[in-house]
Amino acid sequence: MENSNDDYRMQVFDMETQMLLKTALKDPSSVNLEKVSDIIVDQSLKDQVFSKEAGRICYTIVQAEAKQNNGNVFRRNLLNRLQQEFKDREETRERSLQEWVCYITFICNIFDYLKVNNMPMVALVHPVYDCLMRLAQPDALMNEEEVDCLVVQLHRIGEQLEKVNNQRMDELFFLLRDGFLLQEGLTSMARLLLLEILEFRAGGWLLSSTAHKYYYSEIAD
Amino acid sequence: MSDWAGSRRGEAHSRRNKTGSCVPSRWSNGRKRTVDGTLRVGRHGDGTDPESSGYSDHRHSDSRHSIFTTPESSGPVSRCRSQTDWATQVEDDEMRMGAHRDMQRYRRRILGSEFSQRERKTSSGSSESCDSKEGENIETDEAVLLRRQKQINYGKNTLAYDRYIKEVPKHMRQPGVHPKTPNKFRKYSRRSWDQQIKLWKVKLHAWDPPVDEGQDKVLDNIDDLALDDVMDIELDFPTLSESPTTPGLSLQDEDCAGTPSKVQRMENTVDPDLA
Repeated sequence: MENSNDDYRMQVFDMETQMLLKTALKDPSSVNLEKVSDIIVDQSLKDQVFSKEAGRICYTIVQAEAKQNNGNVFRRNLLNRLQQEFKDREETRERSLQEWVCYITFICNIFDYLKVNNMPMVALVHPVYDCLMRLAQPDALMNEEEVDCLVVQLHRIGEQLEKVNNQRMDELFFLLRDGFLLQEGLTSMARLLLLEILEFRAGGWLLSSTAHKYYYSEIAD
Repeated sequence: MSDWAGSRRGEAHSRRNKTGSCVPSRWSNGRKRTVDGTLRVGRHGDGTDPESSGYSDHRHSDSRHSIFTTPESSGPVSRCRSQTDWATQVEDDEMRMGAHRDMQRYRRRILGSEFSQRERKTSSGSSESCDSKEGENIETDEAVLLRRQKQINYGKNTLAYDRYIKEVPKHMRQPGVHPKTPNKFRKYSRRSWDQQIKLWKVKLHAWDPPVDEGQDKVLDNIDDLALDDVMDIELDFPTLSESPTTPGLSLQDEDCAGTPSKVQRMENTVDPDLA
């Protein structure tokens, strides 16, 4: 199952790149890990399906590298790239909404998968919050794409994020409530998504079965 | 209930207006708001605000003064992450957590072994002085531990070390014959520690790959240590005492003033020679 998934994600690359990535997963020290991390970041920024899954590949490479020679070249490069993109995030958003959404999906996925001694990487906590706060701004709430991205990320890593810093989660949810209640021009889909995430967090990052029925059953349509 | 909702909403409205009119500080505006309305304003100025400590670059990018007049902000004190990149932060965290974990693990062991020493000592009748000492023999200063770990990492990150651990399985290693990684959790003087590291590295060089010219340079550097190397071998025998089996050496805590037992044997002899 895991294998078929890995294969699936690799399909988007040409054969040579696939080989490179496969080698990186098995024998990281034998390949240029800077190049590998660049490939993964670049692909994540343009391919949202990939950006959702890239964390797992990264996790595997990081583990393999650490095990092999206690190295962290790959992670260092990955984080440097992420940080660079973070700095340019406003321009990215202006330029391409899709890339912006991919970036956030990717950084959240990395946050989700890469841990340091089983703890989230503290360095990423504020950047991730910054991204999510940005998605909760009025102009971003007007884009269903961004709202969707926001709630998907919160579904996946909201609970972890809150554990590391609940104050900022509170702030984020102030914005979300405001947006849900007050913002004019929101599509009903955006409102639905916001309402669901509000309920989701209020229920301790769980949806009650009735709420689940409401949001996800066919009948509700 | 409806009262509450009403006032909330009004508040929110005014907030939104504020937000709209003042674009650059949009985010921090949202942040000022708390249930009691005051708390966050204080936080804002004190530099623990993530945006002023460098997570978000926009504040730095437009205002030179934030760069040139950082001093009074307590930001750097709370965590010194603002200066470094994410990767370095993560690596530092990793090391710090590793050190803590090691310390927990190690504390149990060292206390255990010292406990057994104490028992033995008790039987010989001079116990009281020992009671408070056990904690003091452990280096707990994080900065020191991290610095030492770094030195150890340098030593371990060599071909020689890889070859060594491959060629000599742990149970075959003999104190005094084989290199033994200095124990970073022992309290040692800086000088003693650095010396142990040096000697350890010299010993490791015996496992340098055969015809690697590059490594010889390092050896040349350390030529002057050849003598110590020899001494190290004799001196190293007391290392046995680091295993719980030979309690005798660390017993006398007259040296507990901060330069404790085990290394002393090294320092006493080696240091004068160097000096």
